[in-house]
Amino acid sequence: MSSLPSAVRSPSTEAAGSLLDVEHISKSYGATRAVADVSFSVAPGEILGLLGPNGAGKSTTMKAILGLLRPEVGSIRVLGHDVARDGIAAKREIGYVPESPSLYEFLTGAEYLDFVSDLYGIDAATRVGRIHQFLAGLELAGHEDALISGYSQGMKQKVALISALLHHPRLLVLDEPLNGLDPRAARVVKDLLRNLATSDGVGVLFSTHVLEIAEAICDRIVILSRGRVVAAGTVGALRAQAGLAGSGLEEVFLALTGTGDLTDVVRALRR
Amino acid sequence: MDLHRVRRLAWVLVASQVRSGSRTANPKSPLNQPGIFLWGDLGLLFGGFLLGTLALRALSLPPGLLGPVVLAAVPFLPLLAVATVLIGGVMFELTATAKFAGSDAANWLPVHPEEYVLASSLAVALTYSLPIALLLGALAAVSVYVGAGALIALGGGLAGVGLLEGAFLVEMVRSTSQRAGSTSGTRGRVTLVLRALALVVMIIALQLVFNPVFLFASLQGLAVFGQVTAYLPPFWGTFAVLAWSAGNASVALGFAAASVGFAGVLLYVATRLRVRYWSVTAAELRLEPHRYAARHPVLRALGLTPAEAAIVTKDFHGYVRRREMLPLLVLPIVLLVIVFIEDRSPSSGFGTFGVVVFTAWASSFFGLLLATTSVGQERKAITVLFAAPIPAPSLFRAKLVAAVAPAWTASVVIGVLVGLLFHVGVVVAVGLILMSALAGFVVALWGLAFAARYSDFQERPRPQYLRPAPMMAATGSGILLVFIVVIPATAALLSTGPAALEGAVFAAAVGLTIVALAWGWARRGFEGLFREIPF
Repeated sequence: MSSLPSAVRSPSTEAAGSLLDVEHISKSYGATRAVADVSFSVAPGEILGLLGPNGAGKSTTMKAILGLLRPEVGSIRVLGHDVARDGIAAKREIGYVPESPSLYEFLTGAEYLDFVSDLYGIDAATRVGRIHQFLAGLELAGHEDALISGYSQGMKQKVALISALLHHPRLLVLDEPLNGLDPRAARVVKDLLRNLATSDGVGVLFSTHVLEIAEAICDRIVILSRGRVVAAGTVGALRAQAGLAGSGLEEVFLALTGTGDLTDVVRALRR
Repeated sequence: MDLHRVRRLAWVLVASQVRSGSRTANPKSPLNQPGIFLWGDLGLLFGGFLLGTLALRALSLPPGLLGPVVLAAVPFLPLLAVATVLIGGVMFELTATAKFAGSDAANWLPVHPEEYVLASSLAVALTYSLPIALLLGALAAVSVYVGAGALIALGGGLAGVGLLEGAFLVEMVRSTSQRAGSTSGTRGRVTLVLRALALVVMIIALQLVFNPVFLFASLQGLAVFGQVTAYLPPFWGTFAVLAWSAGNASVALGFAAASVGFAGVLLYVATRLRVRYWSVTAAELRLEPHRYAARHPVLRALGLTPAEAAIVTKDFHGYVRRREMLPLLVLPIVLLVIVFIEDRSPSSGFGTFGVVVFTAWASSFFGLLLATTSVGQERKAITVLFAAPIPAPSLFRAKLVAAVAPAWTASVVIGVLVGLLFHVGVVVAVGLILMSALAGFVVALWGLAFAARYSDFQERPRPQYLRPAPMMAATGSGILLVFIVVIPATAALLSTGPAALEGAVFAAAVGLTIVALAWGWARRGFEGLFREIPF
């Protein structure tokens, strides 16, 4: 933990012990460097936004945290478990929603959630109540016995979210979790994440392209660009770093990722 | 109808066929252009004609000798065209993943149903036209040689109509099966059974189409039952050519016009079905509350953990709900049917030894296929397993059970059937079941070792669960392993006295040695698989 640069280290890390420590990881695909020397941490009860343009390395970083990819350099610890050495223990603590959830579409929603409950060892008595709560809260009740192949994109996203939350994970890794959700469901999820963080001390690593959402719910933000951390801190700190006091996160983001002046692009597109 | 739009849409649909084979397909390669089928047709047509002409000149055969060949073969071109497209197209529909079999985009693009159906039919007809083009080219050479140019022109034209007729029929199957495929519950299960039956029928039809004895009988039958078949529209093209060859031009033109009219009717019906069943994702809603519970008592009793049992149950659901798994599941039935078609009963000279070896091979080969496809059929949803706290050996055990259980079930069913139908005796039938089970276990392990290393997780129209070269290697070596186990075991089974015991011990020793080796190889493969997500 101590080797993390202060800007990317959670302020509460020292006191509470972090849930997630990503330290100097790098990952390449052939000649393409997807992630280069990325470090950050997530403290209990903290929602950390991971932002960046397309291809910045967000999904690669998240997959590495899950142990789905192995960084060539660096280490990742989830509640003290080294993901490379003790991946199973780390995965037990994580709830994950991938960018494009691939579900088993030949199962019904209920069967899928039963399946995931078995994978995480959730006993029958516990799962019943939790699944019903989530289905009702996200307005999926009544659809659970239909095949997932017949679900809309938003319904699939809801199933993916429920399956990530069922086993009471202490760390949530959510890659674009609000994709396809209707406004009510999106609001429920945002409030739920905030509640889980403040009441249960769940840590959340949250990736999104919707900067208003990031600004509204994230405690801190890490901005990646071309595989590197270009800025990290609270929205206020990022404003200060970009020299844009009083601006919205969108302006700050564009300035920090070097994509600020879009006038020429818009003019060209209008032709 | 906008024919330009039809052409553009057909072009796109053919491109999706051409480029679906490989994820590394270079879209700029000439081989990956939609025109490849068209150029291929022309090449085969003129190539067949040229080669046929050269061969005829070289052989200097008298035209009188070849005349009957032309008169016998050319009339069947239109019928063969219908059959080729129908069998190829329906086989594709039955085996394609639902995602690719669907054609939702055409529903929201500004395309009229008849335009879509015509474009899709043209694409299907073009895809399966290559063998017809080759045959037409070769027959054209012979026909011109014997002075029957007009006959082959008519036959060729009506073969084109036949290709379209077959394609329109495929479109009908596509529309109706998409609708049926989107249902669950009882209707869904009925649909699956019907699909399985359709697949068995299609495979048997393929066997028959390429069976010379059957074809010869059909040629004779058509002459005898001509009065009946004249009322069957798919035969009208053939009757037009037959009438022309008999010098009856007006009847020939009548049948030809009727054949074209029939194609028009098929287009109309296919379009109506498309309009009626446009939706591919009609969800069925039921409002009874689902009872959530950890179940799988049988699998748990076998010693599987809840997670392993859940994976096995999930795979079983996949077997019976995924359309692309059907060809694998009907395999034991098809292999048994082939035994009957080819008459491999002990009394036919195939012998009890042959029957036992062949049927043992059929059921254990089933285990090999299920195992080799078991990892790749997860597709990208394998992310769920990678992200869950499941160690590699757990996935290995679950996949082994998911492959071996159906193979052993097939062994028992086939063993009982062979015992009853071929009267081989109880001892031989029981021995057949035991050796099939051992061979099935051996090759399931072997298949899993390949699956863990070489699976293909890409979404494709025709699912390819294992990369092609490893699939061939796994199949070839797997068949060899089956024979290594089954042949000495069968020899022992059919022997008496000490030879039987020695043979049984030898077969068991060979089988268990391979099990020990394959177990380690497969398990290491799964540990390697879990190192990093493969996509």
